[in-house]
Amino acid sequence: MKRQLILLLVALLSAAPLALAETEGTDASRTPPPIAIDDSTRQVLETINSVGPYEVPDLGLKQDQNYAHTSREVEPFRHVKPYKEHFLLQLEYTGPGRAKPEPKDVQTVKIGFIGPIMSTVSVATGGKSHEEVLGIKMLQGSQLAIEEANQRGGYLKRKIPFELIVKNDNGLWGASGNEIVDMAYRDNVWAILGTIDGANSHIAIRVALKAEIVMMNSGDTDPTFIETNIPWVVRCIGDDRQQGYLLVDYLYHKLGYQRVGVIRASNRYGRFGVREIRDGSRRLKNPVPLEMAYQVGSTDYSLQLERLRQANVEAVVHWGDAADGARVLNQMRREGMQHPFYACDRCLCDEFLEIAGDNAEGVVCTYPWDPTRTDPKYQAFSEAFRERFGEEPETYAAHAYDGMNMVIWAIQVAGLNRAKIRDVLAYRATPFEGVTGDIPLSACLDDLGEVFLAKREQGAWKYYSREDLGLARQSATPGDPVQPPVTATSSAEIQ
Amino acid sequence: MNVFATLLKGFAWGWAAIAPAAVGWAVETDTAGNNRQQQAAPATAAPPETATPPVAVEGLPYVYTNWKHLTVADGLPNDHVFAVKADGPKVWIGTEDGLACYDKRTGKIRSWREKDGLPWKVVSSFAVNKKTGELWVGLFGGGLARFSGGRFDHFHQLNSGLVNDVVYGVAVENDHVWAATTAGASRYNTVTGQWTIYTEKNSPMEEIWNYGVSYDAGKVYLGIWGSGVLEFDVATERWKDYLDPDGEMEIDLYRDDGIVHVITTGTSYVDGILWVSSYFGMCRYDGRHWRGYYAHETGLPSDFGNSVAGRGADEAWFATDKGLGVVTDFPTDTWVTYTMDPKKRTGRAVIRRGTDVLKTVEMPKSIPHNYALWVDFDGNDVWVGTSKGLGWAIGSDYYPGLKAN
Repeated sequence: MKRQLILLLVALLSAAPLALAETEGTDASRTPPPIAIDDSTRQVLETINSVGPYEVPDLGLKQDQNYAHTSREVEPFRHVKPYKEHFLLQLEYTGPGRAKPEPKDVQTVKIGFIGPIMSTVSVATGGKSHEEVLGIKMLQGSQLAIEEANQRGGYLKRKIPFELIVKNDNGLWGASGNEIVDMAYRDNVWAILGTIDGANSHIAIRVALKAEIVMMNSGDTDPTFIETNIPWVVRCIGDDRQQGYLLVDYLYHKLGYQRVGVIRASNRYGRFGVREIRDGSRRLKNPVPLEMAYQVGSTDYSLQLERLRQANVEAVVHWGDAADGARVLNQMRREGMQHPFYACDRCLCDEFLEIAGDNAEGVVCTYPWDPTRTDPKYQAFSEAFRERFGEEPETYAAHAYDGMNMVIWAIQVAGLNRAKIRDVLAYRATPFEGVTGDIPLSACLDDLGEVFLAKREQGAWKYYSREDLGLARQSATPGDPVQPPVTATSSAEIQ
Repeated sequence: MNVFATLLKGFAWGWAAIAPAAVGWAVETDTAGNNRQQQAAPATAAPPETATPPVAVEGLPYVYTNWKHLTVADGLPNDHVFAVKADGPKVWIGTEDGLACYDKRTGKIRSWREKDGLPWKVVSSFAVNKKTGELWVGLFGGGLARFSGGRFDHFHQLNSGLVNDVVYGVAVENDHVWAATTAGASRYNTVTGQWTIYTEKNSPMEEIWNYGVSYDAGKVYLGIWGSGVLEFDVATERWKDYLDPDGEMEIDLYRDDGIVHVITTGTSYVDGILWVSSYFGMCRYDGRHWRGYYAHETGLPSDFGNSVAGRGADEAWFATDKGLGVVTDFPTDTWVTYTMDPKKRTGRAVIRRGTDVLKTVEMPKSIPHNYALWVDFDGNDVWVGTSKGLGWAIGSDYYPGLKAN
């Protein structure tokens, strides 16, 4: 009898850890979301909540007709039907992650942030880092979104606050990868927002893929960022491909240029940023006669400018940081080069204006949104940002605010489950209504929202949409004839 | 395989090449999709008697029908299996939360976590130095560990020449250990203690995001995210790069003009053939000709390839996010696709020649989960790491290529 009792006790003790393990999770993620959702999202939620670890929910996959609004005339090798076209069909996550129960012992809902917020050595430049001014804005936008969510009650299912886990995006030796590992496995964050530098972003998303965690990007406009087939990556900012397409349309279809030169930073941002402009120019039969690169932080661009002058270019496109862009512009004007100056979105900022001074007048920049929009949501954000930080918000802050709110929305809807957070973002049927405008996601979860050109006119930036410019999107249907160029008759012509 | 042999195969008749001694089960389906046999049999039963009329095919490949699963319930520290390496009677298992070793002789599993000396819990890759018996362990975010004599030696960014702590792949080349990291590749001379770092500064890496590394017959192959495949000739220490000739991310202009995409995930060099996996399809390279593989025209369950393991010049196993795709006979483009039914958790193998389904074999088990991450060969057996357990395919009567019945 005594032996039987001992055996019974042993059995009970050995069963205890198992029982404990089974009750570690709760079904909180399966309870109805505490915020209003539309029918489509409700269906997504019901479907992902109904599958076990071996099943893949049948949610229907987005199918884009063409990639990234690429018009027929600038498609690569458009006279040949490619053997395979990528990024048209939505990516799936087919792993078992949806079946993980929401953990019980959670005091805060951690969301990761990684961005360049501290001065360091940069792989991109091979010297001192240069993106902190952007990263700090990105952090501020994220902080504001988190603080507002906590004012509304935090993670509403459990009534616990959100907590931002902040990491510096130290570009040295791939450190961003280590930071993502830390956040995914040590800090146990539920999703991550970041980064800016293209190379660091690629490193980060490779880690996010293996760790199976959403990586929301609000600041890296490198087109290749999204071209990696990772189902865990979302971007909420129009990239350099979108901005480049608009600029190319404007330069050639609207203004009729034939010889546009390029000067860019000798880093990944410059190299990949102008790629669609260079390719688009060539495909529109106006190949870029010369592309010159400079070392980031240079003060003398005479070699590059002399070569551009010799190439007899009609206009100059600059892709690089604001300070470099302004110095290039100033030197051009000093040396008598009165060429129209076009630049990337990084040049639309106070730093550019301070350095360029009066030379900024007439400059045209691409831009991923229209900050002069007057909708109440944006105005409320601007006011809150001013109140919180004592300064005006700008593009990195606004996009981070949108991206963080997308993540917070997904967590409120899906619960504390990384795969489900990814699902509700990926299968959302309607665009997110952000402070930067609508954010419609493509099949590969890239922001295909409207992008703009901004011209410095009488001391202020004026923003022009494709419609304002009379630049309808060109046909994208294979086999359709290439549309003739749009004639330059619109009253909204900006140059 | 020469042309004559291929032609001979073409005249062969085969309709039941499921290995005679393989476990007899369940349902086989003919090319019209009709079930032929519903009777399940125990693992030791005689092979199934099939009633399919002969089909004019070139013989059929071996199909693994005897599978065992190892999971947390069996003693694994975690079900998310990133890597597996068979070494004699031991099978090393790398999971998201610890290292394990399965002893095939005893059936026991021993595991190590950080409290047991493992430097970091996420184990991403393995290599065994046959000369010393040392196990090299790639740690995802924790660097590199050498496990020998029951002791872990830890190499990381701050105490060695390891270029980054996020290690995706490890390979042993002569006295050197290679680590494919997220910020370049490192080569460690285990005799002299010297480290060499390879990045864009001293090799043709367009990007430095290394993913996989393999070594055989004097050549190291790096699978690099964004930089295709790099070949390192050990004798000359010279590099050669293999990129997608069309240079575009969103298309593959021609299938067989080179590597299908520059976002590569794995390489496997065996019998003079380079096999490559990517997130956009797979490839085979014989030194002169490339062959691209896409799911829509082969037995690949998906174009999303997590890794590849070549077994020979004509056979390679691709671990994808929707199951295992196996080129079983390159000359005839014959494939076996292994998946598991997510509801019933039974297994299925589909034999295809190109897109033509030759035979479907239902079985009680195949891979533990369709999200397959790793493959390693163990004689006639195959080990498959998935995101929900480890699969052991037992193939005591495995044969390469095709066999007419």
